[in-house]
Amino acid sequence: MLELYLFQLLNGLGLGMIYFLIAVGLTIIFGLLNFVNFAHGAFFLLGAYLCYTAVALTGNFWLALLIAPLVVAALAWAVERLLIKRIYHLPHTFQILVTLGIALIIQEASVLIWGPVGKNIAVPPELRGVVILGDFIYPYYRLFLIGFAALIGLALWLLLERTRFGALVRAGSESTETVSLLGTNIFRLFSLTFALGVGLAGVAGVLFAPLRGAQPFVGPEILGIAFVVVVIGGMGSFGGALVGGLLVGVVQSMMTSLWPQGASLMIYGAMAAVILVRPYGLFGRA
Amino acid sequence: MSEKNPLPVGPRTPVLLLLVVASLVLLPLVLPSATLATEILIFALAALACNLLLGYTGLLSFGQGIFFGVGAYGAALLMIHLKWGLFAALLGAAVFGALLALLVGALAIRRKGIYFVMLTLAFSQMAYFLAYTLSGWTGGDNGLLDVPRPNIEVFGHVLVDLADPRHFYAFVALLFLLIFAFALRVIRSPFGSTLLAIRENETRAAAIGYDTRHFKILVFMLSGAITGIAGALYAMLLHFAPLSNIDLMMSENILIMTIIGGTGSLFGSLLGAGAIVVLGDVLSELWPRWLMLLGLILILVVVFMRGGLWGGLAELGKRLRPGRTLSTKTKETL
Amino acid sequence: MQRRTLLKAGLALGALGSLPLGAQRAFAEEPLVFYGLKSMSGAFASYGKYADMGSRQAIAEHPQLLGRPLQYKVIDTEGNAGKAVRKVQEAIGQDGARFFQGCTLSSSALAVSKEINKAGGVFMTPVGADEITGKDCNLSTFRWSVPTYGAIRETLVPMIRQLPQAKRWYTITPQYVFGDALLDNARKVFAEFGVEHIGNSYHSLQEQEFSGYLTNAIAAKPDVLVLLNFGSQSSNALRQAVNFGIKERMKVLLVWSAGLDQFQELGSDVLEGVYLGAQYWHQVDTPLNKALVAATQKAYGINPNYPLAADYIGTKVMLDAIVQAGTFDGASVARALQGMRFQGPTGEELIRPGDHQVLKDYYLLRGKPQGQLRDEDDLAEVISSGRSFVEVDHTGCALA
Repeated sequence: MLELYLFQLLNGLGLGMIYFLIAVGLTIIFGLLNFVNFAHGAFFLLGAYLCYTAVALTGNFWLALLIAPLVVAALAWAVERLLIKRIYHLPHTFQILVTLGIALIIQEASVLIWGPVGKNIAVPPELRGVVILGDFIYPYYRLFLIGFAALIGLALWLLLERTRFGALVRAGSESTETVSLLGTNIFRLFSLTFALGVGLAGVAGVLFAPLRGAQPFVGPEILGIAFVVVVIGGMGSFGGALVGGLLVGVVQSMMTSLWPQGASLMIYGAMAAVILVRPYGLFGRA
Repeated sequence: MSEKNPLPVGPRTPVLLLLVVASLVLLPLVLPSATLATEILIFALAALACNLLLGYTGLLSFGQGIFFGVGAYGAALLMIHLKWGLFAALLGAAVFGALLALLVGALAIRRKGIYFVMLTLAFSQMAYFLAYTLSGWTGGDNGLLDVPRPNIEVFGHVLVDLADPRHFYAFVALLFLLIFAFALRVIRSPFGSTLLAIRENETRAAAIGYDTRHFKILVFMLSGAITGIAGALYAMLLHFAPLSNIDLMMSENILIMTIIGGTGSLFGSLLGAGAIVVLGDVLSELWPRWLMLLGLILILVVVFMRGGLWGGLAELGKRLRPGRTLSTKTKETL
Repeated sequence: MQRRTLLKAGLALGALGSLPLGAQRAFAEEPLVFYGLKSMSGAFASYGKYADMGSRQAIAEHPQLLGRPLQYKVIDTEGNAGKAVRKVQEAIGQDGARFFQGCTLSSSALAVSKEINKAGGVFMTPVGADEITGKDCNLSTFRWSVPTYGAIRETLVPMIRQLPQAKRWYTITPQYVFGDALLDNARKVFAEFGVEHIGNSYHSLQEQEFSGYLTNAIAAKPDVLVLLNFGSQSSNALRQAVNFGIKERMKVLLVWSAGLDQFQELGSDVLEGVYLGAQYWHQVDTPLNKALVAATQKAYGINPNYPLAADYIGTKVMLDAIVQAGTFDGASVARALQGMRFQGPTGEELIRPGDHQVLKDYYLLRGKPQGQLRDEDDLAEVISSGRSFVEVDHTGCALA
């Protein structure tokens, strides 16, 4: 029995890395732009469908992993220029409503384009098969996901902490005037950041597709996970998204052995408790 | 700007009530059925209750479905198991709604902005979970069936037979009018002005000496009670309380109706509910993907027409009246 | 006093409102309107689309009925039980609607059936909830699909017989009323045949991530993994199970599959070797099915799937019953349906008078490997079929 909990812990850590990937774009956009994006789940969905199309056209998952997020990011960039930049200054509640509208449009458009029945995306042939550790079995593909999520996390950290772009964005989120004085076009910076955050949702959508397929009504569920992770970790905190993701993954996985019906109750209960006890999350700044 | 003009000055109370009465009379005349008109009024009640939170107190709640669902289940169970009559069941639903709102409100208002929203969202998910887990009471995913629609009775004599959809509409319309008038009275009282003061600047309201928490909890309970009644009426209309009453989509729909109708305008809630329900009925037949349009409308309303349908109509009215200067843009509520 | 006047005024208004609408329409030359309850919009659009095709096909076979033109009208249930009930009330109240077929969600069907029964109409549905021909049965309502009892017996029993070495069985069950019904029936079969039920994992109504449950299942070392969920949950559970290499370690059975449309989504990579329970399969060799496949190919260029076939036969049987009854009276048509025998997609089928359940086959299929597919829809082969139904006395149904 103890062994089983160990397996669940391992599986939970793996799941947690995937959740981190789902949530990190949301937290970047919130942390740097102070913007609440309720369309995050919808862009994830779009990533999954574009992956399906790209695989169908090229027959190559890796090409899809490159193309689909770029298309999602490009779309996000356009949406930002047309719409989002007009509402940065509005209260969060308005941002929620506008992005809810965007989410509805993307969801229904996906049904129009790809039909109401979901699509299957095969695990790339290189990554089929499983690792066997005694009674514990883990698919190569999920192992790859963990590694890839870690790489993305590292690259993002370097980008935000070690490059001029990162420094400007961070400064811009503190005070737009300062950055403007430096002669930098702050709006272009914001557009790029938004596209980056949403593009990451696209990456998560592609990587998740072989596990879940592409289904048109998955958006709200993904959005829910992303928010739980981000809120528990601390809205806008990069490290928080990682820890929050791992925590949610482990709790969810452990619960399947302890009290499976209560998994979602537990996770949302935890989110409520964190907000009430530590409103800025485990890692957030006030 | 908002300090000078704390509320979009709506029509005077009698004018507004007359407008409501006229709408209540017109609805069943222009719509294909009294049943559809009844559904509109039920959701208008829910939107109106949501508006008390959003439009007058600035609280964006994703938890309205909790109160709607609890009102539906509560009234249904009281009628099925305890054989309660119409008014008792409605009162029961209002009490359930208010109590749940007290619980949710007291916890949620400890946080502001996005954290408040997230708390209501979390509670909404937990309520849904409880509703389908307690399937012995709620019927779980099958829903609670055989909900009665009691008649209006006095000492065992049937005064009005509500099985007739037109009678039931008339009853719901009357109830709507009463609740509307009551809500209007509340928001145009000193209590209402305080709520607006909280919405505009909570810190200042607190500094003046208002216990803002107290006010927020009260308005939450009022909203919960009205939403509970709406849920109970919905269960009576359908003879059925589906699990979807209490899910996140219900909360989202109520919110969307409120916003599209116009935040900060009680009459707007009637417009919003009417527009969404009718649009859904008409468009879903013509174009199954009509939610896309709804998304677009939601964006347009928030970005360009903050006053919603009501604000749009008011603006139109002003433009059509010659000799008057155009008002500055419809005030940003919230 | 004032309140009373208000009340009266309100009632007067209500009555006024009804004036232009109350007129009865029962002229002989007016078409008979047949209502299809289909989830065209919302989250179950994939089902409604095909179900609608099925009904249309049956309607097309009857340009007129008892001398009256036949008209088909879709009620979009929006995948929302509340909307479905209200729209049905409206159709009954305004248009005097009596004949309904369809519904995707069990909750919609249960609630709608009560409204139609009150109006003395007739309703045929393919939904899964046992209650529809169980404790919530009524004189107006008929159900084509096999209840959970038969779905379990017609999949588990043949598998137990074919795999005598499979002694350890593990179940994954969604925590809803329907899932519990499947699990109860499965437990009885396990006990009856002396195979060991080594464990069950419940999961919540919204779960889509099954790695934790699969880890549980693998650790329990079963010979057979039985999935008792359906729809997108079963697709994801199956997809992730294959990911975890489960097919190499045990047999997998999905008791309540959706049939062809779900198989097309999953593809043969996932399905190969998986046992699948199904209400309908387009390759079944019966006279009516052959005709249905040909007609569907001609009309839409596809093979019929479960929603299409179920709503085709449901609509057709109702229309045939109207002809047989020779009247548009709901009660008479319902009587004609009771005990009716007809050629259905699974062979000769019978409507049991005691609970209005159609007695028909349930299938056990097995996913075929990619190399053996004769065409792209040849994703599975029938390995067993048969009929198992609870005695009427034990369904909980009491028809007055």
